[in-house]
Amino acid sequence: MLTERVEYRISIFIMKRIRSQIARGSAELAILVLLAEQPLYGFEISKQIEEKTGGALYFTLASLYPMLYDLEKRGWIAGRWEPNVAGRDRRYYGLTPAGKKELAPLRREWNFFFQALDRLAGVTNA
Amino acid sequence: MHDESTPDWKVLVRERLLPLGLPEQEEQQVVAELAAHLEDCYEEQIETGVSESAACETKLNELFETRRLAKNIQRAKYKEELMNPRTKQLWLPSLVSLTAAMGSLMILILISLQPRFLGRSPLQMVLLPWLALLPFCGAAGAWLSRRGGADLVARVVSGLFPMIVLFSLVGTLIVTRLIVLARPHLPFISIWIALGIILPSAALLIGAAPFLKATKSKGIA
Repeated sequence: MLTERVEYRISIFIMKRIRSQIARGSAELAILVLLAEQPLYGFEISKQIEEKTGGALYFTLASLYPMLYDLEKRGWIAGRWEPNVAGRDRRYYGLTPAGKKELAPLRREWNFFFQALDRLAGVTNA
Repeated sequence: MHDESTPDWKVLVRERLLPLGLPEQEEQQVVAELAAHLEDCYEEQIETGVSESAACETKLNELFETRRLAKNIQRAKYKEELMNPRTKQLWLPSLVSLTAAMGSLMILILISLQPRFLGRSPLQMVLLPWLALLPFCGAAGAWLSRRGGADLVARVVSGLFPMIVLFSLVGTLIVTRLIVLARPHLPFISIWIALGIILPSAALLIGAAPFLKATKSKGIA
């Protein structure tokens, strides 16, 4: 009885972790894809992601900036202060050569993942 | 210039978020960046017809999540950083080169003490093989230091660290000899310095040399 309960809790924990990893991974991909086009600052990134995904993906302050700092720390993006069109200083993030290198395999991985999911659950025909 | 009617986002962010436990300059940058984001969100809401107070309230609500935000920022900035920069750039690489150099010396001495090698000169059995191994020890120290983002001085120190330690020890011994013995044996001291300090230092430096060049900076592609 106790083992079953522990196993159940572990499976719930694993599921939560998987979901959070998927959410995190997809958000990272979305940011990198956007920045591959042009350097953007935080507000523009969150706005464009929300617009381009029809609101399916959106960031709060608590999720966007820690992720940007994490990507920056990994050396995939780099930020620098520049004035925006309104002349206000904003921290623009752009893809680094390492980030560019990382984007292609990341795209392939996600493509592979969605294809696998589609084969399993027929997601695209649902 | 700050408009009286609009909230001072920097002050609001600072009040709610700090201290983050980051270096001051980094903290100021985070505050400025978050304040700029809130300012843009606020202005966008005003443009869409939301009243100023409602827009301000909405944005402030996001800041009420500050505990999570602060925690996430700290985690992102310091994630997997179990060591501070000084440890990563200097102490750990130095310890690695020191352990490798002293470990190899110890192994060579132990091998030379094997009965079948007894009678061979220490120069042949210990010093020459050790000098051949030292460039790898220096390279390991300098490489780790460069990997940690260290400057040139730290990389040189990390590569040469075994000799810095040995020099301190030998220096202490020489000074002791000078004090204890009124007439120290100068040729002996010179040989000690040449074989124990200069040659190994050169060997370490040869190994460290390829890692002393500046690394490419991370620019926006």
